[in-house]
Amino acid sequence: MSVDESQFLATMSGYFKPRHNWRDATGKGVTVAIVDSGIESDHADLAGKVVESVEARVDGNRVIFDPSNAGDSAGHGTACAGIIARIAPDAKFASIKVLGAGGLGDGQVFLAGLEYAIRRQYKVINLSLGTTKPQFFAPLHDLLDRAYQAGCIVVAAANNLPQPSFPSVFSSSLISVIKSEETDPMKFGFRYGQIIELTAPGVNVRTAWVGGGHRNLTGNSFACPHITGIVARFVEGYPNLTPFQVKSALYAIARENQGRENL
Amino acid sequence: MSRDDVTELEAKLRQLIETIDVARLMTDPLTTSIKGLLSSSAANMDSEEASVIIRDGDAGDLRFLAAIGKVADRLLEMRIPAGKGIAGFVVSSGQPIAITDVGEESSFYAEVDRATGYSTQTILATPLRYNGEVIGVLEYVNRRGDPPFRPFTPAEMDQAAIYADSIAAMVNAYEAAKLFSDLSNKVLSSTGEMDFTDVRNWIAALRGSSENRERLDLAVLIREVSGRGDAERKLCRELLEAIVRFSDEKSETSYLSY
Repeated sequence: MSVDESQFLATMSGYFKPRHNWRDATGKGVTVAIVDSGIESDHADLAGKVVESVEARVDGNRVIFDPSNAGDSAGHGTACAGIIARIAPDAKFASIKVLGAGGLGDGQVFLAGLEYAIRRQYKVINLSLGTTKPQFFAPLHDLLDRAYQAGCIVVAAANNLPQPSFPSVFSSSLISVIKSEETDPMKFGFRYGQIIELTAPGVNVRTAWVGGGHRNLTGNSFACPHITGIVARFVEGYPNLTPFQVKSALYAIARENQGRENL
Repeated sequence: MSRDDVTELEAKLRQLIETIDVARLMTDPLTTSIKGLLSSSAANMDSEEASVIIRDGDAGDLRFLAAIGKVADRLLEMRIPAGKGIAGFVVSSGQPIAITDVGEESSFYAEVDRATGYSTQTILATPLRYNGEVIGVLEYVNRRGDPPFRPFTPAEMDQAAIYADSIAAMVNAYEAAKLFSDLSNKVLSSTGEMDFTDVRNWIAALRGSSENRERLDLAVLIREVSGRGDAERKLCRELLEAIVRFSDEKSETSYLSY
């Protein structure tokens, strides 16, 4: 670990004065990949922020990503980008549209979207989607290992339902998030010993929506981008942070947020 | 039984099937049960409108299978194009979602509202899952009483997921019954030799896991090959036995032996 990074982590635990204060960071110079339903790039909250926009096309057994001006077919990707933009206002976005291809947003398309983000070496990847299909367990595990080794930080939403979803249960290789009723966007928490380790606001979150408007939304999907936004702030000051370091930093800050009593 | 008797029996059976509308006989009890559970769950959720939306064909379009509330009948006539709106998102992502201010601007729900004369303000939508596959969406819309409606809570989201489990099992039974009745209708109304291309097409249309589809495809293929003659049947059997032997040998390799 370089000096900068050790100082960064120590800062998170509150022992040193920070050289780079993530609380003042804005995500400048960081591009966040959003694997979702697309992003409405001309939404007032997101104007000028979408630097790449591609959408999946299924061609036989292959999934191809073409440049896209289709926007957002459902609103979900725009909502996620809106939350990240509020926390990291200078972050840029790469929209990787995997929902709506062939209608079913097939698991294979979802996997291909993640692989595309890793190949393009986007440092921060937001996955507010998931699958419970057992056949995708192994391929997703492999992809997340590749992301980990490439230093990509993948933040995934937990399934809101009782059964486990992938990839959020692969806790070693990514950051997984479940919703809390907290209203302060910066106040996330850590659930020590749980598979889904982090909590973040995910109830009645007001954010951008298709058609230029805003909605109040509830779901783990909207907790996930809160953490993604925070990670974009970290990466602004420390572009080479590894997923492990990011997780350690999130843990340290969550301890501060929770007043160190709920460990 | 003589050949003439068989033919006569077949004719009677066809006549019977045509008369009693097998499709409805098999699926009606299920749609009634789904609607019943939908009504009682909506009452518990303090919701005014509720619907069960299922996949309609392979292109990803959706249709309303059951609905309760003021505009239920209109909804049952509507189709939702692939990937559109909240239901489209929930089906393709498998993620539940709750939204308020739904119809406030131009959106798919504004279109639905214009068509039905209804005002959608708050929605809770959760996926219907069966064997890990998303087979549809369960939606609760608005609250009982007058607006403004309070948003759906995380606890209600968990509650809806439990209702969704039961409804998904019934939707799966409905689809299986529909498929079976479609298939038997086709078999009984066909004359002469069965066309296996048709059977394959039905199987492809069968909603279910891709793994199930592959198994059924294989079963149809074997049935077709074995119907072509003794030589084909023998070859098919030898090939399958060879595959089983190969697979057995492969499975003896343990990671521990490396």
